[in-house]
Amino acid sequence: VDSKPFADDWSIDDERPAASDGGTRLPLPVKIVIAGGFGVGKTTAVSVISETPVLTTEAAMTEMAADIDRSAQLPTKTTTTVALDFGCITVDEEIKLYLFGTPGQDRFGFMWRDLTEGALGALVIVDTRRLDDCYPAVDYFEHHDIPFVVAANRFDGVLEHDLDDVRWALAVSDDIPLIDFDARERASVRDALLAVLQCSLDRVDDHRADSPSVPATGG
Amino acid sequence: MSRGDRDRNPPDDPSLVRPYLPAGVRPEYRAAPPRREHRKDPDTRPYEASGLRPYLQTGGRVRPLDINLEIEAQVMTTPAGRADANRLAFEQRDIVALCEQASAIAEIAARLGLHIGVTRVLASDLIAMGYLTVRRPGTGHRHDARIIERVVRGLQAIR
Repeated sequence: VDSKPFADDWSIDDERPAASDGGTRLPLPVKIVIAGGFGVGKTTAVSVISETPVLTTEAAMTEMAADIDRSAQLPTKTTTTVALDFGCITVDEEIKLYLFGTPGQDRFGFMWRDLTEGALGALVIVDTRRLDDCYPAVDYFEHHDIPFVVAANRFDGVLEHDLDDVRWALAVSDDIPLIDFDARERASVRDALLAVLQCSLDRVDDHRADSPSVPATGG
Repeated sequence: MSRGDRDRNPPDDPSLVRPYLPAGVRPEYRAAPPRREHRKDPDTRPYEASGLRPYLQTGGRVRPLDINLEIEAQVMTTPAGRADANRLAFEQRDIVALCEQASAIAEIAARLGLHIGVTRVLASDLIAMGYLTVRRPGTGHRHDARIIERVVRGLQAIR
């Protein structure tokens, strides 16, 4: 009888990888979606907290497209991305958190299901000088019951409108957290992400409370 | 559109034609070794979308075997994938080479300059062939407080 130790064997030359080492060596991926219009600071926020340089799946926008998207009207914004850019954070020995930044426009809506499926939550970044850019994202997350926080980016350290006015203008309900933050500050971005996770945890508690009966909330 | 032009004039750059094309194609359309300067150094090349039509890279298929393969799903090359790498078509060979280290589907797309949908098709094929191992996000994370709490602690450690 061949009594060769089992573990020695399959760890080296295994032909059923998914069953054996899929669970041990690969991290468990989780994600938070960072949404918002062009030039609101998504890429900045991701890059300031990501362990790796921000990766992008598509090209930088051409100048012509940037014009169409009104970025040309905004100071010091020269490039922007058309698809999604992302970074990651190693949470612990097992979990890896991905941050996916996505344009908030309706015309990129086809990507949103992919992006948001299974997301822990979402951060919607707004530029208080042009709030309308974030409406599609806010609508989407509301309708799909995805926990989210609205974060007003303090451009140059200044928030041009106070948060009550922003809430009124966005017409988001009072139970959606609205914070201000600075996309250039790592600690500030971290706190914004923590606000998203708190929102996700609150939602878990709601679901637990609801679970014995018919789902009570939702669209 | 430009499709007619493509049919009439063989592309100047032979690398634009992929080996997935059926065997009957004229010799000048056959694949040549890839000529992409950036492949040696995926970290420093500028990001650019492939000009290639995605369905050529995927052999005409538009759906991955697993259409739900998440963009954050982690994949890594298996010993079988390493052993058979030379027999793979070259996008897949690139993927197998890149995934010696665990990578997300989105990372593969970004580093190899592939469309994300194409990456998903190619990677799910490689998973089905046993050349990549995969770890996917659980479906119920949004409701799994323990996972969220671990992420919270991990973020709190960031200074």
